Formats: sequence, structure tokens, C-alpha cells
Amino acid sequence: MIPFSRAQPVMASVWHVTLVRELKDLLGEERVLSDPLRRHVYGKDGGIRRGDVAVVTLPATVGEVAEIVRIAARHEIPVVPRGAGTGLAGGAVPTSPSVVVSLTRLTEIEVDTESRTAWVGAGVLNLDLSEHTAPFGLHFAPDPSSQAACTIGGNVANNSGGPHCLAEGSTVNHVLAVEMVNATGEVLMLGGDAPDPIGLDVRGIVVGSEGTLGIVTRALVKLTPNPPAARTLLAAYERVEDAAATVSGIIAAGIVPAALEMMDQPMTIAVERFVGAGFPTDAAAVLLAEVTGHPAAVTAEAELVRTVAESNHATQIRVAADQAERDLLWKGRKAAFGAVAQLAPDYYLHDTVVPRTKLVDVLVKVYEIADRYDLAIMNVFHAGDGNLHPLMAFDASEEGVLDRVHAAADEVARVCVEAGGSLSGEHGIGLEKRDLMPLVFSEVDLDAQARLVEAFDPNKLFNPDKVLPTGSRCFDLGRPIPEGTWI
Amino acid sequence: MTSLRSALQRRLAAFLSDPIEGVPDEAVVVAPATLADAAEVLGAASAHSLPVLVWGGGTHQGMGGRVDPAIVLSTARLNSIVDWQPDDLTVVVEAGVRVRDLEDRLAERDQTAVLPEVPGGATVGGVVAAGISGFRRLRYGPTRDRMLEVDLVTGDGRIVRGGGRVVKNVTGYDLPRFVAGSFGSLGLIGRVCLKLWPLSEARRTVTLVNRQPGYGYRPLAVIEARHQVRVYLAGTSAEVEARTAELGGSHEDEWLWPGPLEGSVGLSLRLAPRLLPEILGHIPSSWSYQALPGVGEVRIGVRDFDAETLRALRRWVESRGGALVLTNAPAEVYDAFDAWGTAPPGLDLQRRLVARFDPDRIVNPGRLPGGL
Repeated sequence: MIPFSRAQPVMASVWHVTLVRELKDLLGEERVLSDPLRRHVYGKDGGIRRGDVAVVTLPATVGEVAEIVRIAARHEIPVVPRGAGTGLAGGAVPTSPSVVVSLTRLTEIEVDTESRTAWVGAGVLNLDLSEHTAPFGLHFAPDPSSQAACTIGGNVANNSGGPHCLAEGSTVNHVLAVEMVNATGEVLMLGGDAPDPIGLDVRGIVVGSEGTLGIVTRALVKLTPNPPAARTLLAAYERVEDAAATVSGIIAAGIVPAALEMMDQPMTIAVERFVGAGFPTDAAAVLLAEVTGHPAAVTAEAELVRTVAESNHATQIRVAADQAERDLLWKGRKAAFGAVAQLAPDYYLHDTVVPRTKLVDVLVKVYEIADRYDLAIMNVFHAGDGNLHPLMAFDASEEGVLDRVHAAADEVARVCVEAGGSLSGEHGIGLEKRDLMPLVFSEVDLDAQARLVEAFDPNKLFNPDKVLPTGSRCFDLGRPIPEGTWI
Repeated sequence: MTSLRSALQRRLAAFLSDPIEGVPDEAVVVAPATLADAAEVLGAASAHSLPVLVWGGGTHQGMGGRVDPAIVLSTARLNSIVDWQPDDLTVVVEAGVRVRDLEDRLAERDQTAVLPEVPGGATVGGVVAAGISGFRRLRYGPTRDRMLEVDLVTGDGRIVRGGGRVVKNVTGYDLPRFVAGSFGSLGLIGRVCLKLWPLSEARRTVTLVNRQPGYGYRPLAVIEARHQVRVYLAGTSAEVEARTAELGGSHEDEWLWPGPLEGSVGLSLRLAPRLLPEILGHIPSSWSYQALPGVGEVRIGVRDFDAETLRALRRWVESRGGALVLTNAPAEVYDAFDAWGTAPPGLDLQRRLVARFDPDRIVNPGRLPGGL
């Protein structure tokens, strides 16, 4: 697949000149970027790894995407789809010189208010979609913290979540169909606007496949009615255990709030310095809970959350008085990662999941690991889902720090898996966690996943080296029962 | 045939089961008690290209292409609730657990897997394999949204696990969701982990004479029948009271789910929700139906089977991107009328996918659209 060694300069190669010329014939000069600076810029996502870009393309139609795929396939150059590049797992980082297909120009939105669905171009920003549908009283439920910058295509690729997927589910629960360009440059329509399309649910396997099965150019998404009422509460605790017990208590009381978010003290301090939302910086943990729905439901459920928080020794409970205060509290939560920039120039944001009842045990171990590697760590998490986001702030120019960060991140992942958890809840596997996959899956499991990829993309044209560790498709079980003469 | 049958009985002696009502007489019926045993059965069948029909409660055997099996694999002995974590809202169950038994058990702690409300003898594995959802999908999404983890015994006898026992997970390809609605084409769905939801404190059914737009903010379920509409509410007492007042009509303080529709032929008509009011006008007046607004499904009971009327209805539905699916019918109906209708696009891809899991195509062969 890779026609040259990495050491060979891309620009000097004859194949590169030919490839760029063919792409420019298709898209024009302006939508093909092959200068060193732009190739450098597109070599990275929101994570900390950098890859090799041969050329960047900016198609504006599905037809152009299909044609780019055909050209790349002819040249046997890998194709790496890309949205806004906000991913954190290296999913959009090419591992060898590749044609990057930036989908940000696919920005059409077509709303069907009666069916409460919309066809959305891969390049539409998550928040733009909800703003577009707001006049109809509808929104797109998944709301990653990066929602002002990330694209729907990226959400589909990573099966993105966000604080509100506690009650509403992740992106896959909101995608009814995808339009996808396959490895031979054909455009497939997978799924549809009718429920339970007949045949295998291929759409479901494409969502979350991190651009390894094809390029999704449009998605038909479900829109969710905006809640008529909402209430956001903040509770502060002297002990992390009490905050976690509140989370369990709320679930045990029979309600699943719209969101249940938690921040530890280091994170709260960083956020407060950044946003000034009045977060209590002396608390060991802060819980942000939101209940939404019918006005009568919201009143009763907010009261229940307050009662549970009080009985778990909350030292302070604050109910947002109005929309402005609600927005401010959420701004604090969603700006958590930006806030860290004040503390250190670089950060590594982890994403793992544990059964919600194991939160505290795992958190204690996470602090211990950070201590051992001498790293500043702070935690913000979707507590209701058991989805942890330990964040390590560091200065990459410091000698050897990256090795420590990676070693600590690996240990955190191991601790989560040992607690019955999983490697990623919403950021994806990409490059970052690919080699940890054997922690959760057997050779047979990984082989089955590799076979599945093979059915879509036998030559590994799309985003190679992602999700599955190298060599996953080497397991050959043969027949469990030798072919005998028993009949 | 007799010699094949007796040889099979010898080979699979360790797994033989009592006969099951409704199962073809010629088939050898096995009921493995573990996934490893099931893998041995499927591995043996695959090695000799013998068609296998997977049998749970038998309630959805009317769906899909007809299968003529040499072996019937019953999930009757795969019947344990393996691991229920009420505080994590997850449960791990084997395929043969009856939906009713599971939901009864979960209700002891006021939880639900939001599986079909009137399941008859259906099993969890059967409901997942057939991709069947209950009325509450309006609020909680279809059954496939409940799938967190699966242990799949592939057609060629591998035991493959996908997903995980956590409520939110993007670790690897979403195999658990993929098996929902796969009708055994990938193999036996041996064990699943499902996401649970709390059962609300107050439960109410509001009966209306006329349709309303939307029926208020996100009701639990809505069923429109020919002469009445039922709106199902869940939540706190205060909420349910307030919403009942807004809806009007009469009410009862429980969920009154309708039973199966009458008629010799059952249909599931699926189309974009906006088309629901229009399609109801095309349904002959002697047929009973349950229309699910917001979902886009109409379940129909046909009294007098008439292939021509059904074909016309199917043409109308398919021309609008939907499907008309047979859910139950006497044997002769399947000869006159395809169980699925026009196969979906991308059948080649589906065929390649199936081949990765069931290379000899032995589990429920021909059950999926397009004879797959």
C-alpha cells in the first residue's frame, strides 16, 4: 500500500507530482493543498501525535469525494478523512503519506420537521446544526465539549458523546442513515428514514468506525425536541466519595438526569480561574446535575437531586436561577480543557469508562499513578456514565515528559479495564489506544473485527493503522472440529 | 435423509433436546447448555454445510425467508441471567431467557430493559435477532440502542465478543449493535449485555378519541388504533397529572398495552414518520392496526389475505423509501408474497459481511432480504 519509505521526501517524488496534478484537475488549484506548511498543519488532530500528509483535498460535493477516492486508489495512496481535527485519539493523523480529505465544505442541512430528522453534510459543525434547528424547537442531542468546533462527520466517525448523552445516548443512537463513499468510489446509502431498515444494520457499524470503512459525506440524524423546562444544580463536596455516592443515589432513586458531571478540585480551580462562574474552589469535588423535561417533572426531579445531594453531605447546593446562570455553569464545564492551557502549554486528555459504581476506586488509583510519574493530573468526567477524563497538563519541551505521559496513560487504561471498564467512551481508539486493544479483546475478537473491516475495504485504503493493532487479522482458527467421516 | 438424521443424532448426542412444537419434524433438535457447546454444534454443521435454524421462543419465526434446516438449535438451555448490576443499570443475559421473565425480575428493583411489552414466549435472543422493539421505543429508542455487549457464536464456530459491560463505549467496532436484526445471519447471539432504565414511579394510560399533534413533550409511547388513541405516560405523579390534564381524555393508572392484532397475516409497515397519516388512509377497513406516530411503524393484522392488495400497498410504501414486512403468515403466503419485498441496496456488502462470520452460510440461510 505505501509506495515509498517515510525517509524519502514526498515533494521530490514523481508519483506525488502526478497525484497532485490529477487532484488539481478535479478540484482546481485552490482546493488542493500541497505546500509544506499546510501539509504540516493537517498532519495533526487535537491529540499529541503528528503524521505524514501527501496532499490535502477540500471537496465540496459527494461526487468529488468519490472521484478523490478513485484517484487515490489508483495511486495506492491511503485516504484519511478529516472533519475539524478536534479528535484526541489520533484518528485523523495519517500514519504514512496520505491524501487527506477535509470534509468541511459539505455543509448542507435539510430539515424534515414532521419526521424530526435532518440530512446533514459531514462538514456541518455540531453546534451550528442545533442552532439551525432551534426555530423548529429541535436540537441534535449529542453535545461534545468541542461542539462549537467539531463536525457532524467527526461525530459520526467517533460515535461522539457529550454530557447530555447520559439520557439521550451517543451519536449512534441519533443516526438513521449515512451516505458513504466506499473503497471503489461508489456512493452507498446505508439506512433510511423508515425505522428498522430491512437487512443487516450496516449503518450501525459505520458509526464509530473512525473513517476506516469509507467516507461518510452526509448523515440523516434524529432531532430531539427542546425541553420545555430545565434546571441546573451545582453541588459541592468535601469528599469525592460523597459526590460519587450522590450520583449513585440519584440513579437508584429512579431518575436518569439529562446530565451528571463531576470535576475534582484541581480541575475546579483551573476552570474557576478561567471562567469565573463562582465554582467553589475549596471543594474536593463539584457535581453538576441537569434535569430537563415537562415543567412539573423538572421541579420534582430537581428537588430529588437536592435531597440526595444533601443526604450525601453536600456542603453547598446552588440552583441556577435563570438561563444566563445555567449557561455560565455549562460554560465552566465545557471550557474545562481550555482552562488547562493557563497551567501548562500541553495536555493529554484521557477517556475511559468504568462501571459507574467503580468511579471512586478508580479515581484513587488514577491519582496514585499521576503521583508516581510526577505529573499534574486533574479530572472532569461524565459521572453518570462512568466516563472518566483524567487530564495531564505538562510542558512538552521538558526532557522525557512525553514518555512519562504515555506510560501513565497506559496505566490508567489498564486500571479502568481491570475495574470492568473499557478503553474509550467517546473519543475513539485511533492511534492512541490501538495497541491497548488486546487488554479488552481476545485474538479471536480482534480477528473478527479485522474481518469486518476487510468486508468493506480489503486493500486498507481508508485510514489504515487505526483502531485495530497491527496483525489483528493473523488469527486463523481453522475448523474447531476436524472434518471427519462421521456422516 | 434417515441416515443423515441418525448420523447427526449420534454426532450431536450430547446436545439433543426434546422435540419442540412448531419445529420441522425432519430436523434434529439440539439445545446446547453453554456457548462452547453451541460453538461445537455450529462448527460441526459448518464443516458439513448443514443448514441450522436457531430457535428461541418461536414467536418471530414468521419473519424472513423460510429455512429448511437439518438442525434446529434451541436456546432453551442458555437461560440464565448471568450478571445484573442494578447500580450500573446493566444486565447480562443468555439468549434463551424469556423477555417476560427478565422484565419481571428487573421490575423487582424498578428497572426495565425496555423490551417488547407484550412478548408472549419470546426470548431475549429472539427479540434481538429479529430487531424487535416495544412501544416505548418512542422515548427510549429501539432495542438495538440497548445493546452494550454480545457474545456471538459465529456460523463457523468461533466465539466472538464485542462491546463491553459499560453504558457508554466506543472501543472497537460496534458488533453488539450490528447483531440486532441480523436474524442469525452472523451466527448465534449467545449472550448479551443490555442497558437498563429505571421504571418510573407513576404509570398512566390516557385514552383519546382524536389524534393530536405530538401528544405533548416526549410521551413514553403513543399507539393510534382505528377508533382510539392511547398515550402512555411515565414520570413522577406531579408530572403525570399535569400531562394528563393537558391531553384530556380518560385515563387509568397503569400501562394498558394492546395484545397481538387479530388476523391470519401479520405485517409491519415501516416508513418515515411524516408519512404515517397518509398511509393509514390506504389500509383496508377490515384490517386492524396499531400505528406508532413519531416512530413510523404500523403493525397490521390482515383478516382476508389478498396478495394483490398487499402488493399494491407494498409498492406504495417502497416507492416512499419504506418497507412492508411479513411478521407472521400461513406457509402458503410466503410462496405468493416475499417476506421482505425489494432487497435493500448494498446487498453485496451485506453478503461479504455475512461471509466473514458464517462462511458456509449455515445459520438461518436465506432468512435475510435478497435470499441472504
